[in-house]
Amino acid sequence: MISRAAFSFSISDVPMPETAKILQFRTRQSAPMRSRAQVLEDVSAYLAIPAAERSDRLTESMLTDGDSLSAICTILWDTINVDPAMVDDEAPRLYRQLFARPAGELFFDERDYFLGEFALLAGGSSRHLGRREDSEAWFDRADASFRHTVAPASHLARVSYNRLALRYDMRRFSDVIELLPSTALTFEKLGMRLEVAKCGFLQALSHKELGEFEEAANRLQLLSQDREMEAGLRGSVLMNLGDVQTTRGNLQEAVLAYQEAQPALMQAKRLAALADLKAIFGSTLLAMGRRSDAIQAFREAVDDHIALGMVTRAAYLRLVLASALLAVGNAREAEWQIQAALPTIDDQKMVPEGYAAVALLRESVRQRKTDPKALLELRNYLQTRN
Amino acid sequence: MEISDDLDATPSAEDVFELEVEKVFQETLGLIHIALVTHYQLSEQEATELEKDLFVWFRRFCYRPGASVRENRPYLLVACCQFAREYQKYVVGTGVRESDEKLRSILDREPSDVAHDFSRSLQLFDFRRSDA
Repeated sequence: MISRAAFSFSISDVPMPETAKILQFRTRQSAPMRSRAQVLEDVSAYLAIPAAERSDRLTESMLTDGDSLSAICTILWDTINVDPAMVDDEAPRLYRQLFARPAGELFFDERDYFLGEFALLAGGSSRHLGRREDSEAWFDRADASFRHTVAPASHLARVSYNRLALRYDMRRFSDVIELLPSTALTFEKLGMRLEVAKCGFLQALSHKELGEFEEAANRLQLLSQDREMEAGLRGSVLMNLGDVQTTRGNLQEAVLAYQEAQPALMQAKRLAALADLKAIFGSTLLAMGRRSDAIQAFREAVDDHIALGMVTRAAYLRLVLASALLAVGNAREAEWQIQAALPTIDDQKMVPEGYAAVALLRESVRQRKTDPKALLELRNYLQTRN
Repeated sequence: MEISDDLDATPSAEDVFELEVEKVFQETLGLIHIALVTHYQLSEQEATELEKDLFVWFRRFCYRPGASVRENRPYLLVACCQFAREYQKYVVGTGVRESDEKLRSILDREPSDVAHDFSRSLQLFDFRRSDA
């Protein structure tokens, strides 16, 4: 480790002169410097304590120390794709707790920066969990906070990227394709390679959703060749490349892409993406005529999404599973899957009120004669809207 | 005979990062001090205290997503000027210190503009160093 004594100046325990105790300056003594690894360890231990059992004093020590807040952000960003529900629980609380504290406890622009980070984390996790209105509100908060930091360009571009990801979720793909290059250019100018790759990925996915499969495949193929790319992102690139290849009828290429995607996603602990991989692989198995394997893959995908708290995605996949079950004559389990999906579809307002296909499907299931047309219509609607 | 691992240990990524932060800060410290004492007219003690805070801030700033440590150097100067200005405005505003024409003039300027002028000095410094 670097010796902290090696500095030509030391971090003093002497408080600032009285005149320095103004809003933008710290109003407390400097904490002793700890290594980043030590801070990460302390913060992990803090986050492992259930929120209700954390003492006020411990929470205060975290919220008034920039090193701890920085480490909390690092951990939450590492977790957001692995366990969005955890981040969704922590980030809004941390934002509110920090917001409620006096402004002079952190250095210079740090309060605004950390409020921006927690808001962006809250928005990102809400998006992962399908709560789009919440996401928009959190992105607005992130934007408002980051604007007051010393170097806002990179952070505002991160908010912009997340807003575009939200537009992607809302199926506004042309908007994404039009607006993404500007955000990507900001990242490129700032040398933020991972963010540039993420923009390229989102652009490829938008082409895929618009039915421009060749364009999407070319972009994904190009991205997948970057072996230095972060494992989670590379896994997602390969998974989607496999999906595009399935659509184009290149089933063997699809399987090869999935085989490469799985270890990358496992390495990055991308549980949500691994759950999606099972669903996408299920579709490829269906295209290959391997129906029972496909059903098993869909079942596992549903279970995994439920375990991750991704209820809307699980509800949609239950309908995909129900269709596959009906196709092999297993009407009983298909009815059960539909009945399990309908409450979430209602609760999460996944369809407009009075949507006819839902009523038809509910009634047909009640009569134990599942209406395949209503099921297909609802599936298609959810696929395009959710 | 046992040989300590430390002898062959290569520095961790964190150590390399921290060393780079320290190096960049030390390289900029002279300019920061001139900005604080000569231009913003802080006392030596006030400048020293602010420099300590600036280091703590800059170290954490470099952990934020974005540019490399070296590319962050202009922001260090922006922060220095911004915070020196806020500080002096407060001190002058509360009547603790009297202002003169030179101080009023720099307090009227945008900190980013002042920092930009300092950045030019920094670029000149880099140019001379690469030339050496």
